[in-house]
Parts: sequence; C-alpha cells; structure tokens
Amino acid sequence: MRHHHITHAAAATAFAIVLLLVCTPTAKSTPLPWGGVGSGPASAEPVDTLREVVVTATGTEHLLRDVPVQTEVISRRQLEAYGGRSLEDILAGLTASFAFNEDDMGSQMQMNGLGNSYILILIDGKRLHGDNGGENDLGLIDPARIDHIEIVKGASSALYGSDAIAGVINIITRKYDRDGLLIENTTRGGSHFDLRQHNSIGFAIGKFSSLTNFQLQHSNGWQNTATEAPSQTEFLITDSRNMTVNRHTNWQIQERIGLNISPELELYAEGSFYWKRIYRPSGKYAAVDVKTYDLHYKNASAAIGGKWQPSERAIVTLDIDWNRHAYYYLFTDTTLVDGYDPWGNFTHYFPYFPGQSNLQSDQRRTMGHLKGIFQLHERNRLSAGLEVRHDWLRAPMRVDNGGTVTDDTEALYVQDEWGIGRKRGTTHLLQFTGGLRLDRNRQAGLHLTPKVSAMLSPTEWLRLRAAWSQGFKTPTPKEQHYRYVREMSGTYLYLGNADLKPQTSNYGSLSAEITAGQWSVSVTGYINKVKDMITLVTIPNYRAPEEYQTQYELHRTRQYQNLDDARTLGIDFAFRYSSREWAFGGSYSYLNTDANQYDSEHDRMKAVTIDGTAHHKANCYVTWNHRFRRPYHLGIGIYGRASSKRFYQLNGDGKAYHIWRLTSTHDIQSRAITSRGLTLRAEAGIDNIFNYVDRTPHGLHLGTTSPGTTVYASLTLRFQQGKRTFKPIKTNSKQTHNEED
Amino acid sequence: MKKIKLFLMAVAATVLSAGFVACSDENAEVSNWQKYQDAVTSKVKAEKKHNKAILLVAFGSTWQQAFDAFDNTLTEYGKKFSGYDVFLSFSSAICINRAAAGENVDPRNFYAPNFWLNAFAAEGIRYDEIVVQSLQVIPGEEYTRVINYIKDFANNANGDLDDEYLSKVVIKLGVPLLQDLSDVSDVATRLHTLYSAKAATDIVAFMGHGNPDSYDTYKANIRYTQLEDSLQVRSDNYFVGTVDMMENFKTHVYARMAAKGLNNGTKKVWLHPLMSIDGDHGHNDMAGDDLPEDIDENNYTFAQLQALANEEGEVEDTSWKRYFGANGSGFTCNNSTMIEKGLLELPSILAVWMNHTQAAIDGEALDYYHSKNPE
Repeated sequence: MRHHHITHAAAATAFAIVLLLVCTPTAKSTPLPWGGVGSGPASAEPVDTLREVVVTATGTEHLLRDVPVQTEVISRRQLEAYGGRSLEDILAGLTASFAFNEDDMGSQMQMNGLGNSYILILIDGKRLHGDNGGENDLGLIDPARIDHIEIVKGASSALYGSDAIAGVINIITRKYDRDGLLIENTTRGGSHFDLRQHNSIGFAIGKFSSLTNFQLQHSNGWQNTATEAPSQTEFLITDSRNMTVNRHTNWQIQERIGLNISPELELYAEGSFYWKRIYRPSGKYAAVDVKTYDLHYKNASAAIGGKWQPSERAIVTLDIDWNRHAYYYLFTDTTLVDGYDPWGNFTHYFPYFPGQSNLQSDQRRTMGHLKGIFQLHERNRLSAGLEVRHDWLRAPMRVDNGGTVTDDTEALYVQDEWGIGRKRGTTHLLQFTGGLRLDRNRQAGLHLTPKVSAMLSPTEWLRLRAAWSQGFKTPTPKEQHYRYVREMSGTYLYLGNADLKPQTSNYGSLSAEITAGQWSVSVTGYINKVKDMITLVTIPNYRAPEEYQTQYELHRTRQYQNLDDARTLGIDFAFRYSSREWAFGGSYSYLNTDANQYDSEHDRMKAVTIDGTAHHKANCYVTWNHRFRRPYHLGIGIYGRASSKRFYQLNGDGKAYHIWRLTSTHDIQSRAITSRGLTLRAEAGIDNIFNYVDRTPHGLHLGTTSPGTTVYASLTLRFQQGKRTFKPIKTNSKQTHNEED
Repeated sequence: MKKIKLFLMAVAATVLSAGFVACSDENAEVSNWQKYQDAVTSKVKAEKKHNKAILLVAFGSTWQQAFDAFDNTLTEYGKKFSGYDVFLSFSSAICINRAAAGENVDPRNFYAPNFWLNAFAAEGIRYDEIVVQSLQVIPGEEYTRVINYIKDFANNANGDLDDEYLSKVVIKLGVPLLQDLSDVSDVATRLHTLYSAKAATDIVAFMGHGNPDSYDTYKANIRYTQLEDSLQVRSDNYFVGTVDMMENFKTHVYARMAAKGLNNGTKKVWLHPLMSIDGDHGHNDMAGDDLPEDIDENNYTFAQLQALANEEGEVEDTSWKRYFGANGSGFTCNNSTMIEKGLLELPSILAVWMNHTQAAIDGEALDYYHSKNPE
C-alpha cells in the first residue's frame, strides 16, 4: 500500500515539474517537429511508404524511415489494393510475421511465435479488450475504417507495458474532424455469403464534430472436411457437421463526438456497442458434433478524453475508457449447466431451454491514461505518463470466490528521445530513445522495465537500428482463476492457476534498412527471451480438482503454468520496390523457438512446444496501377503467402501451405462525379486462386483454415461536402495527433 | 461555456447508454427448473405401465457403442423385470445434454437421477416401489452419489415432495457389479468362461476406472486387486489394472507381468475395458494412439516410455496399447489385440447386475425416510 502512494506521488510530482518547465513563457519557442512532415500524392498515386508518419513506437510522430525503433506499416494504399475481408486476412496476407487460425471462439494469432496474450492490439492507441480462451475477437475491428496499421516488434516501448511482450499492433482508423458532411457506404460480398457492410455518417459544425459508424459482418462459414480424426472416434465418421469456421454474424455501432474548445484544447467522447453470434450446427454424433448452444458476445465501450496543448512545446492528453466484453451461451437445445437450484444448492443440472442465454464471463476494464509530450530542446523530447487500470472479471460458474475477481495495475513511465550529431533531413546522425516503466500490480508488486533503442544514420540511404528492452506481464485474472470445459472428442478441462508468477522478457534486435531510389530493403534479427512464460500445459488428470474428476470423465486436463524459460529467435527480411505504376515486394520470417519446463519428477528440463509456431513464413506481392484516360483508374495485384509446418503439443501439426490471391481496384473519377463530392470505387478479386484446402480431419490442427478459392467484390460510395476529410495522413498532422489519443 | 455543457451532456449520454447496455441480460428463469422437471414427469407419466419402477444409474457416455449398450440393457431389463417400468439415468450433465440432442436422431432422455426420482413421486405417477440399480463396477465414489440421490429423495431434502407418499413408497437399491467378494468370484468365473481360450496362451488384461486415493470411498479400489487375485486362481495370465487407482496403473500391471516372467516375447496382451461401457476410456486410455509429446511416433521404445513415469509411477499421455505394445516391452499388443467391449455388452456380466436387482427386489426395503423421520 505504501508503494502505491509513493508511485502516485512520484508520478504527479514528475509530471508537474516537466509541465512547468516546458510551459514557462520565457522558454525558447522551438516549433514542434511533429507538424508538416512532408506531403505526398493522393492515395491512388504511388507513395513512398517510408515517408509515412508513424506514432506507435515512441508515442511521438516520426517519418517511418526515421523512426528509431523498427516499425512496419501497412499503408492505406496497400490496404485498398489488397481488399482484405478482416484484420486477420490483412495481417496474414501482407506481413510474414503473423499466423492466424480462425476458430469457434475468435482468432488465434501469433506474432513472431508468441500468441495473443503477448500481442497488444491498439485501436487508435486504445487497447482492444476481451478474450475467450486467450483468443481475441478481431471482428471488433471494421476493416473499412482502417487508415493504416503500424506494427512494432518486442516490448520496445515504455508506453505499453504489460501485454506487449511480442509487440504492438496499432490500428489507426480514419477520423472525421473537418467542416461539412460525410456519408459513406462500403459493401463487400464474397463466397460463403461473406458480407461486410461499413457505413459512416459524419458532420462538423463549427467546433463540434460527430462521426457515427455502423458495421456488419457475416459469413456462412465453411467446412473443409466432414471427416473426424479417425484416431479420436470409435468408427470412421465422414458426415460430421463440424465446421472449419462457423457461421457468424456481428455488428457494431460506434459514435465519436469531438469538440475543439480552442486551438489549445480538444475534447472527445466515444461509445460503442458490439454484438456477435457464432452459430454452431448440430450433427448426429454425440461424441463429436452434437451442439446444444451457440456462442454470443456483447461488448460495450465508453471513453472520454482530450488533448491540451499549453504551448508549442507540450502536449498533454488524458483518456479515460471503460470496456466490457460479455460472453454467453445461447442455447439451441435443452442444456444442463452448472448453476444453483431453486433451493440455493449448487447443481450440475440447471436446465436452460432453446432461445435462452447464460452468462459465461463478463470482463470489464477501466483505464485512465495521462500522458505528456514535452520538447525540452530541439534535440530532446520527453514523454511521460501515468496509467491506471482496473480489471473486473465475473464468471459465476467458472471462478471461485463468488464468481468475481479483480485486479489493479498502475504504471508510471518516462521516455526520452535524444538526437546526437548533425541533422540530416528530419533526423540526427544518432537518434537515441531510452525509457523506463514502473508497473505496480496488486499481486505482483513493483517492477521496473528499462527500454533502450538507437538509430544510426551514417548516410542518407542507410539506417542501422538496435533495441533492447525488458517486458513485464502480470498474469491475467482469467489465467489465474478461470476454468472451463471443452468437448472435443473427449472432455478437456482448462484450469487457471492462482500461483502464477508474472512473466518478464528480454528483447533485443538489430536491424539494417537500406533505401535507394525506389527500393527499400530491411533485415532485422531478434531474440526474445521470456522468463516464467505462462502457457497451457497438459497435466495429469489426477491433479484436477476432485469435483471435476468426478463430474467429467476427463480426457485431458490443461492448466496455465509458468515455463522455466522460453525464447523466440528469428530474422525478418523485407524488401519493396515502388514506382509510379509498379510496386512489388516481399517479406520472409524465420523463427526458432525453444521452451522448457523443469520436470521435478525426472530432474530434467522438458521441451514444451509453443503451439502454432512455424520455422518459415513468407509473402510477396506485385501491384500495377494505371490511370487510363479520365475517369478510370485500374489497380491489379497478385499476392502470395506461405508457411512451413506449424507445431503443436497435442493433436498433430499443421501442414505447410502457400496461398495466392488476385485483386483488382477500380476508381471512377469523372468530373461529374468528383465535382459533386462523390467517390466511387469498386474492388474485386479471387483469393486462394489455386484452391488449396487443408482437409486434415476435424480434431487435428490445420496449417490454414482457408476454404479454398473464394471471390469477392466490393463497392464504396462516398459523399463529402465541405472541406476534404480523408487527407493522406502525411499532410494531416492534426489527425495524427488524435491517433495518439 | 454552452459548448462545454453540450459536450458534458453528450458524454453523459454516451456513458449512460453504454451503462444500460452493460446492465441488461442474464435471462435465467427460476421456472426453468420446474419446466424441466415437468418434462421428465410427463415422460414418465406417458410411459407408465406398472406400479413399480427400476431406475438404472450410470455415469453416462457420448459414444455410440455405449448408447447401443445402454439401449440393449434397457431392453434386457424390460424383458427380465416385466412387472416394472425401466428407466436409465446419467449422472454426467454433458452426456445427458448430448444424448438428448442432435440432428435427425431420436433423443435419448437419460435424465439425472434426482429428476427421475422426483417424477416417480409426482401426483398421478407415484410408484409403489422404486428400485435404483447402480450400474457402477465398484462401490466407490460414483456409487456414493447414487446413495446420496436416494437419501435426498427419501428425506424430501428440498421439501417439495409429498411426505405421506414418501413414508409409504418402497425404495430398494441394487448394488454395483463388484459389491462384495462373492461378486468378485462370480464375475471372475464368468470372465474366465469368456476368455479362457485367450488366457491359455496369452495375457488378458482388464482396465478398470478406479478412484484416486483422495476419494477412494469405502476403499472400493480393493475390488480390482481382489478380482485379479480371483482371476489368477483360474489362470496366471489375467491382470486387472485401472486408470485412476494408485499403485495399479498400467505400469504396475506391467511390473506384475514382468515379475512372473511373462514378458518373454512370446505373448500377446489382450486388453479389455472393465467398465460398464466401452467409451472414452476404452477407446483412448486403453486403445488410443496418443504418445507423450517428445516421443517419436515412428521410433520409440518401451524403455523411453518407462523413463517418463511420474511420481505416482504412471506414464501419462499414452495408452495401454502403446505402452504394452512398445518396442522392447516383451509383448505383442496392437489394434488386433483390443477387445472393445463394455461389461454391459457381455450378457453373462449383465446378468450379474440383474441378479443384484433381483436381490434388491427380494430383499429388505431401504429405510432412509424413517431413519430420519421416526414416527
């Protein structure tokens, strides 16, 4: 408790001192270098991606080529050319560092070999909330709203503490804060009744702005095979109803209200509601494909905050947000579940009927984040922040202690960016960033994590970067206390572990980037050592609580445990060429993992596979853009992605695969259309053109869940009245400030 | 100032709307319980033909072979006990749910024991005699739960039954397969009749379930040892091990075989579930193909598996088939030596359970009601 007070007091004092220093009127007025960092052509034109402005690595703006921490960007132009149906599709298709498996509950994701819980997903700097079985529901992200995506590997930034051991994905959405009216609709349809609807209405009157978004996503799902794993069934089943990806529908409505009180002060409020249902068809084999409930998620969020710029040398932001992710069974047949009978006794036989729902878990998080960026000197920029977080988990039948557990974490961080040597363009010969983050967790106590990175720019065309950082991640309430049962050809019991220790990591990377004319090549080597890594480990059934041994004939019991050591080591290589009409590029990611747990019974270290990892992943693309005589602009793209075998602890490895995609974009820009403020754009394409389908039987792991060849087409209609709203980010420095919010 | 007010109002509206969204839900209805009980009661009412009922109680399963075995057991009980209505109960909720659901299949309503018993006491049904027959193999933890269901019912634990009816109804309890030593001997004789030809040259090993030490109620695990002793009187080549009983895992069974010098490379090991049905344990723990994570499926030895024994002596994550059939074990054990049959599928063993039912019918009624509510 004493530490608690010290942390708060220190944070407040430090913050006040820095604020006073930089806001004194006598201070030399040095313009912030975060405005007007270049201008580029319209999005349909070739763009030097390295001239993108990025914010994720340091929380401050840098040109991508000058950012001191290696950052990967998927630009708006790439997104439009690729026509991705979802964030999974986009990240898997456009970078080699990610692997995905869509399944019943959400998306199993990996970034350089580490899974969902080590990847911090931000939407405009705010953390995505909620997980099921450690998987995130990426349906919360409307692909049509994404302006660009920034990816920073490793726990490189002091800003993001917990969760960011593998890295950070920051999804920057398009904003609307200009005068006038915006009405936009994108409708995308594809095979398997894949439907994506994006609708926006935005307006700004004086200092008030509003943006309302509605998105709808639907897919009928697909079944790559109707065969169940013969080794897991009593006879060969070839007519299973189990789907590879289940039918699902989700929709979301979001509202953002902005108020520019004065040039120095902007305020905003946001709220959203999200609904999702995952339909699970029922078959006739009780051991395999009979289902009695669908899955149902309800999310809600609310946030308020603002940005205050007391002087040209300081920006202070405050964000307070609240998120809820509730997960229900939605019964499709009569089902007995754990509950309390009418006399108040615990029972395994509480009945529910079709159409009713039952809460499984409700995760709520409240966060406050106060951050300041201070230009202390032309060469020296300081960021400091205070983050307060409260987690609340209610799972009436899955958590002891009355079904509710909570956790509290506070963090205080400082980061200094320091330029040394002569300045070339917007960067110095040596750009140094150092950060310190002090976390205090109710259970884990205090922990200090240092972060250091540096970039050397010996020539105009060469950037050398080095980073070393420590990460710290406390066990989540779910990892500690949550238990659940899954039926997958046998009963699997998953147990939390109240004795889990926090995880710490040491991440080091070295990279070189060469940019020469229209070429850019980068290579990054990294090592990420995670101590006390928390992962699911299969344990003897007799170690399960007796109640569960008795109630379920357990096939396997899995529990979250700390591994003694784990490390991922790899090389990421990327190159690209971009001309006015042609662009091509590729990336390759080599990964080597080594995880061990001490086996006290045999006095030896036991190797543990980090589920889902593959040694080799690669992707490539070629795009061609051509402006025919007005009004027609055509873009064609070919994309490939490949992975070697993926390794798993149980139920087989996932097969190697390669998948190719053909895309096209069609912009109509006649004077009659553009003069009325209209934008008309169509996209169409074929994914998995060689129809590769992994038909590994159900119950075993797949390399990819791709359904084979699919087609899609989309149409975007946009009406804008008033000043232009969607400027490329490079010319819109104010917009990028908001993205830090 | 106006704008600040406007902004604050907007903030309040956003937060409130989110709050409303967050607070609605959880539509579990208290009446669900009654609705479900009514469905059970209706089923019993519709099927009631006699004034006496037999309730068979099993853990349950989701395997088709097990369903067939349960269906056949119901049929055979109906034939033998023609004056009784016969019902079957699962105690596993997951098994109950899945047996009753599914597309294009006739639902099997194997309700939990408490719902059946309450239905038996409902107005318009009220059986004069209720015989609860445990389909467990040993009088262990699961059997204790069967007894507790009867106690709760007879004592009107929830106060929702008719006391006058409970004071009159005759309740009887049929004991598990291996209730006492005479059962052990009887079952050993019957199993030997079935498998003596195999045991003459090879090994026949039975895999029971067993209770972990921590809840070895009534010390019922001893029945497995007693059964092995009894079988070995008939042939040295019989063994009985378990999935969960301490000191009697597959590794211990192997050690007992080795101590007799049977692992000389000449014998097959026939494996047989010693459970009422051949379900998940029979197909996975006994005959499954799993191997521990760091064992190469195409090239592993018995010594490698032995080295992985845990502190309780068991080698986890692999089956009896894999263990006894591993290169260097001194035995032949593979898919062709699996006897995939549950005990209910063996008519001579089903007959033992039926004998227990008959003995219960012929014996004294249970008096859980009067022991708690003396007149």
